[in-house]
Amino acid sequence: MITFVIRRLFATVFLLIVVSAITFAIFFIIPRLAGQNTYQLATEYVGRNPTRQAVLQIEAQLGLDHPLWVQYGNFLKGIVLGTHYNAGTNTAYCPPPCFGYSFRTQQPVWPQMVSDLPVTLSLAIGAAIIWLVSGVSIGIISALKRGTLFDRFSMSVALVGVSLPIFFTGLISLELFSYKWPIFPNVTFVPFSTNPLLWARNLVLPWLCLSFLYAALYARLTRAGMLETMSEDYIRTARSKGLPERTVIFKHGLRAALTPIVTIFGMDLGLLLGGAIITEVTFSLHGLGLFTVEAVQNQDLPEILGVTLLAAFFIVIANLVVDILYAVLDPRVKY
Amino acid sequence: MTRRRTFGVAAFAAAAALVLGACSSSSSSSSSGTPTSSPGTTGFNAAVTNVINPSTAKGGTINFGNSSAPDSTDPGNTYYAYMWNFTRLYVMPLMTYKSCPGSCGLQVVPDLATAPGVVSDNGLTWTYHIQPDVKFEDGTVVTTADVKYAVERTFDRGLFPLGPAYFTFLLGGNAATYPGPYKDRAKNLMGLTAIDTPNTTTIVFHLAKPFADFNYVAAIPQTAPVPPAKDTGANYQLHPISTGPYMFQSYQLNKELVLVPNPNWQASTDPNASQLASKITMTMNMNANDIDNRLLAGDLQVDAAGTGVQAAARSRILSTPSLKAQSDDPLAGFTWFAALNTTLAPLNNAHCRMAIEYAASKTNYQDAYGGPIGGAIASTVAPPNTVGYKPFDLYDATTDPNGNIAKAKQELAACGQPNGFTTGITYRSDRPKEVAAAEALQASLAQVGIKTTLHGFPTSTYDGDFAGVPKYEAQHDIGISFYGWAADWPDGWGFFFYIVDGTAISPAGNTNLAQLNDPVVNNLLTKMAATTDDATRNSYTSQIDMQVMKDAAILPGVYAKSLLYRGPTLTNVYVQPYYGMYNYAVLGLKS
Repeated sequence: MITFVIRRLFATVFLLIVVSAITFAIFFIIPRLAGQNTYQLATEYVGRNPTRQAVLQIEAQLGLDHPLWVQYGNFLKGIVLGTHYNAGTNTAYCPPPCFGYSFRTQQPVWPQMVSDLPVTLSLAIGAAIIWLVSGVSIGIISALKRGTLFDRFSMSVALVGVSLPIFFTGLISLELFSYKWPIFPNVTFVPFSTNPLLWARNLVLPWLCLSFLYAALYARLTRAGMLETMSEDYIRTARSKGLPERTVIFKHGLRAALTPIVTIFGMDLGLLLGGAIITEVTFSLHGLGLFTVEAVQNQDLPEILGVTLLAAFFIVIANLVVDILYAVLDPRVKY
Repeated sequence: MTRRRTFGVAAFAAAAALVLGACSSSSSSSSSGTPTSSPGTTGFNAAVTNVINPSTAKGGTINFGNSSAPDSTDPGNTYYAYMWNFTRLYVMPLMTYKSCPGSCGLQVVPDLATAPGVVSDNGLTWTYHIQPDVKFEDGTVVTTADVKYAVERTFDRGLFPLGPAYFTFLLGGNAATYPGPYKDRAKNLMGLTAIDTPNTTTIVFHLAKPFADFNYVAAIPQTAPVPPAKDTGANYQLHPISTGPYMFQSYQLNKELVLVPNPNWQASTDPNASQLASKITMTMNMNANDIDNRLLAGDLQVDAAGTGVQAAARSRILSTPSLKAQSDDPLAGFTWFAALNTTLAPLNNAHCRMAIEYAASKTNYQDAYGGPIGGAIASTVAPPNTVGYKPFDLYDATTDPNGNIAKAKQELAACGQPNGFTTGITYRSDRPKEVAAAEALQASLAQVGIKTTLHGFPTSTYDGDFAGVPKYEAQHDIGISFYGWAADWPDGWGFFFYIVDGTAISPAGNTNLAQLNDPVVNNLLTKMAATTDDATRNSYTSQIDMQVMKDAAILPGVYAKSLLYRGPTLTNVYVQPYYGMYNYAVLGLKS
């Protein structure tokens, strides 16, 4: 197992390098194929009415006048060793991991991402707990009570949940529970360390909206998985051995049905940790999702690279954890 | 000037002769900057010409919501209209705009300076004296060396690329090659020879050539003093050293800014600002619709961007009398237009461009921007608030707003294209109103045989990579480019130079999208810059406007309007016509 984990971690590093190279290439090479030159790219970072002198100066300041391989090399070096940056009155040092300085604000990217991370972590993990518990529970009950009113009702609600986008449920919930009936007024992010109760209260609406979508999916997935496993011969054997029904359901039925759920949970959580873009935009929560939107809108390469690598890291680690959990859930899996 | 990243000059209804130096407003500023008004004034558009809820009550927190983040909070590095308004809360440039509603608010008046600049040496020298007792937030007295340094640092365009570049080409001496104080640190930091500071309260600007509008340039936040010892370069935006009524308490970049009263600000030195609220916050990157809902719910007091509510809130406000009474719909100072490429065949023939002027449905253009609430049909390029503006209508925009097919076809025949022609239209694809306007124009032109292909591009790359690149336009047959502009200052030169002067055409980031290089227009702008007599100078505004329209280089769409909602708890609320939004420097809260 340890060898497996170490191998996967090395593969993670390699994968992140590939992701960064692809992102770099997309940012620079594709526009060049369309005819853009470095001067034009630098023009985007100067205010209105850019003079030639201003464009050349910003080109030099942002390092755009260096060959691409030099720029990429400096970027990789910054992540590992840190980098020095001209802040005007002094030369600032950006310690590793240094994802460079924003083309727009000329501030280091990593601290900005770190400050946005708690918002996304709070949003993603809180919603994940809610959707996992509620979705799996409802799925189990529906499977065990197949064909009953509960089953039909819950699956219908699940269908609605899967169909309604977050920007719809989010705006409706804000309209009703924040503006019209101020049960959750002024939804803003309050750090957990500042006020845990306010932190939780302000996240209730985003959690519920985000988890509604996923819970619906997990309920249907769990129901399907449970229906399949509960009809297996070994379940009949377990019952005939006189095992308590609770043991039959959870130890034998659910455990076998969990594998696809764990797989998809890893992917979903990993993706959300990279930024729940639509939820953050809808609720004006400044997490990594909103950071990503601004970075793309501003054509800010260092920010785009930083958030892309961070999101890729989360996805890869989430998948690693999922693979490890396979061995826990299924004794036949060995590394 | 582009809508989003620009400086806005707003007008007010029924603007007549907007002459610099004439104050027609009844609002007289007290030493605290609190204007007066008829008590009980209220209602729709009341804040365009009146002060709503005049009060000297202190206390409370004014919460601003912002749908994006400032380009920069460094006064030397910002070009957003609302930031030039907002920075008056924490800095004092040499000059500013008088805090009063109506045409009065278009006057440029001394702020840090004691009087407007004294001109000498055939217009090449401008001398200002500053108030001797203005202090920074730490109690240090401001000197002219701080003002000189503030201007000098903006020459480092690598670190401060976002603000205007006027000083780099207006100033003489070594301005053309001066690299900025950071690269000049081996010397004495005061290496820009174009500015002298003979004593601590006198500053002298030496220009490369006469420029009669220099008082306006002195009103740009770049002249707000910066103490060299406390300058942190690229990090100065995190805590600019205040000379205004408020100072930075905290700033989480792109998230939240908190201002608290500056204990070393004196009301007697700054009559155009007030220190009433106990705290001012700006929350950034909020959902625009969320801002509107919070404004209506009272959780926020001001929409910082000042460009009006979104469509959903607009419907609600206009259909609810009590909400409508709390709103204003001033002219925002922008003209939304389509530039017609004067270098691309067949549009290089003026008659083909005139065909477009006649064929376009101005009604549909206005509808695309939200109907009369969103803008008034434009027949000139300059909006009515521009000093020297005169109305005229060469192509029946107001008399025949649905377009005149017959006249359009006559013009097509005159340019040798009786069956029409093909060309491309560019627009900013992330601006729904501009998308609708482009589609409307496409439909209008199709009626006369002008077949167009739509090309939408994101705002962030529109100027730098596409519409603002003349070579791209030529290579891709782009004859029509949607755009918008507002002046950096409210006279004809401030409005027209960057969009119609031949010398303003640049290979990338071009704003003269029509690529107009008419010697008549160029000459008028040159004469305007050099003429010190107000009446003569301002008369050139309408002459330039007329010539540009005779050239049919621009298809004016609408004079933009913004539906603003004023929170009922706010005091001293009025539209500052120069910014096109409420004056942020004088707001307070009801006790």
